Amino acid sequence: MLENSPSPLPERAIYGFVLFLGSQFGFFLYCLWAFVPEDWLNSIGLTYWPQKYWALAMPIYLLVAITVCFILLFGVNMSNTAPLDSVDNITDVYAQGQSTESCRNGGIPRLKDVSISEVNKMFYLSPSM
Amino acid sequence: MEDEAFTDICGKPISLDCQSHSSFCREFIISSPKVSMGKVMVYTCSVWLLAYAVFFFTQNTAVLSGAILVTLVGMMLHIHFVKVDHESLLVIGSLGIQVSSSYASGREITTFIEMSKIKDIVINEAIYMHQIIYYLCVLLKDPSEPDAVSSVVPLFQSSKPRLNCLVKVYKSCQEILSKCQ
Repeated sequence: MLENSPSPLPERAIYGFVLFLGSQFGFFLYCLWAFVPEDWLNSIGLTYWPQKYWALAMPIYLLVAITVCFILLFGVNMSNTAPLDSVDNITDVYAQGQSTESCRNGGIPRLKDVSISEVNKMFYLSPSM
Repeated sequence: MEDEAFTDICGKPISLDCQSHSSFCREFIISSPKVSMGKVMVYTCSVWLLAYAVFFFTQNTAVLSGAILVTLVGMMLHIHFVKVDHESLLVIGSLGIQVSSSYASGREITTFIEMSKIKDIVINEAIYMHQIIYYLCVLLKDPSEPDAVSSVVPLFQSSKPRLNCLVKVYKSCQEILSKCQ
């Protein structure tokens, strides 16, 4: 049976190094395209490349998009939070569907969800607190 | 009737008034602090100074009259729809509970829930914006399904008292509910 563990393996080290070299080489090519004047590129024969405007615009667009995504993620989380008058704050489908059989004598009681009324009685009405 | 120093979740002081009308009827009134004259003056002065600055540059008198209108209408809408003066919870054993909130202009909104629909009144914790707060809520049940919670009505939503105030109200309510339900 295959083991699925996150520990380092020789294959994973090779993949990582190949990705590292590839990304460094890609960055070198990008810098090359951004800095070499258009005439030199045209004289070699490379005419159909994007405008140099995009050498600056694309990183800026990317950074702004990442920043907006952080803020948007926070907003999406907040809007998905259940409001105070929703039943999801009290119970859910799994808690309502749990079996209510009584535990066998002498055994450990079955793990189950305690209802909010019982929890409140224990916290606020019992004299121990 | 007791009045200890309770605060709401933001730290502003509120006051709780418990009245026991009879052995099975109790009323809890939570009052928020009134509109402070200082804040009203600050808002009005800042809006009018801003309008005067705009008028100084544009020489358009409509800006001034517009600012006056905006402040007046805004204040009236605020005290009529937004600013809650006090919220009250009236528990009558075996009859029901009445929840009412009155605004600073005198408007009152009242809801009555009959006892057959009430499963329990509990203190629950939930995520509210960036924090977790305790709030008192009424669990409603469908008479056809007495074990399931059909909906939740949160109480004291505008004043949002802290746990010490909620525990007092909870203990008092449970005395009545356990006898008469």
